[in-house]
Formats: sequence, C-alpha cells, structure tokens
Amino acid sequence: MNEVVLDCMGEACPVPLIKAQNKLKELALGDLLIVQIDHSCAMKNVPEWARKEGYNVEVEEVDDGEWEVIIEKTK
Amino acid sequence: MSAYKELINKINKNEFYKRWLKDAWPYITGAVLLSLFQIVTLATTKNPWGVTGAFANWGAWIYEALGGSVDKWYYFSSDGAQATLQAGFLKDPGSIRNIGIIIGALLATLLASQFKIKKIKSKKQIFAAILGGLLMGYGARIAYGCNIGALFSGISSLSLSGWIFAIGMFGGAIVGGKLLVKYFM
Repeated sequence: MNEVVLDCMGEACPVPLIKAQNKLKELALGDLLIVQIDHSCAMKNVPEWARKEGYNVEVEEVDDGEWEVIIEKTK
Repeated sequence: MSAYKELINKINKNEFYKRWLKDAWPYITGAVLLSLFQIVTLATTKNPWGVTGAFANWGAWIYEALGGSVDKWYYFSSDGAQATLQAGFLKDPGSIRNIGIIIGALLATLLASQFKIKKIKSKKQIFAAILGGLLMGYGARIAYGCNIGALFSGISSLSLSGWIFAIGMFGGAIVGGKLLVKYFM
C-alpha cells in the first residue's frame, strides 16, 4: 500500500479536483492519495467527487485554511 | 492547558459553532438567502443587485482624481451615471455593498479560523489572474453586467437578456474549462 501526496497548495478551483482525478487513475488498488489544499471550495468539491465515486474519504484540517483530503482507492 | 486554549477547544467542539460558522452552508441555504437579499436590495436601492458597475465608477473616480475627465465618455454620458459620479463613493449603494462583501467575506473566514494568505505558485498564475480580470471586467461592461447584475438580477427580473447571458456564459465556461485544463494541468 502506497501513500501519495499531491501538493495543491495555492491552486484555485477546479485545478485541485482535476489534479486529484488524474492522480487517482495512476494509483493501485488500496493506495492512499493525500491531497493538500488551501482553497475552501476544493475542500467541498474534492471530497464530494471522491465519495460519489465510492472511495473512502477523510478531511483533516491541518492548519488555519489548510486541509488534507485523504482518499483511499477502494476499487 | 491554559484557560485560553481550553476555551478555544470548547468553541471548536460546540455544535452550533460548527454548523453556523465553521462548516460551509448548504447550497440551498445560500440560494434562499441570496434571493431574500436580492428583494431587500431592490426595495431599498430601487436597483437590482450588481457588482461590477460599481468598479467602473471606482475607475472613473480614480481617473478623475488623477486629473482626467470622463464627462465625454459614452458609458458615463447618461444623467444617471453623471449624478452617481457627482454624488461620490459614500452615496453609491453599489460601492458600499462591494466593500460590505469584502469585509463580510473576511469576517466569515476569520470566524471559521480559515484565514490564510496564499502563496503565488507560479508566474503563470499572475499572468492568468491579470488576463482573466481584464477580460471579465471588459466583458462585464460590454454586456452591462456580470454573473450577478446581468445573469442573477436579469433572470430574477424576468428579463430575456438574463437567459441569453446564461447561454453565452455556459459556452464561455466550456471553452474556459478546456483552456484551463490545457494550460494549467
């Protein structure tokens, strides 16, 4: 099981979402994708997309205005 | 643990703090509030909500402060536009409202403790921001409104122009999305 960190700090919507979608395609089953974001609308649309796809998702607030969206590629 | 930290912890765990100030409100709540305040705006200022029109006035005031004159400009040639420019910033509801939007947004981020000064990641971002701003500003004046004044206020006034604006914006967003993926990924 791999952990891949995707740095999307300073990127505005919809760049973090598209980057996360592209990156997840490259990952193997069971891998974790950690998307680092500081744009609050990405905190809404990245988890929304991943949950709709059926992946396990967790959002962690790491600092003021900084989040990590952790997506587990379950399928 | 200090008393201050304890208090912060307590607030962070509070259900009402989370629901009202920390987490994003549902889209439907936003839609209902925007509609209500649109009615309030129309009733109090006699004009529907607009954002970019005030920026054109700001530009005119700055230009005049530097010694220029916009009296002969077609855009400002109407009596209404001249009266607004004469009355000044503090008597322009649109200008005050725009300041309110900026202060309100700042307050919301501070209360959610999500304020952060973001880094500029690349020169491309600077270029795109300036180009995007110029195009949006120019387009909004040519179309007599932005997605608020022309789209939201247009459609809510049952004006056909709002729907035509929506079609144009939809097409523009598709092209813009393709360009974004091509140059920003």
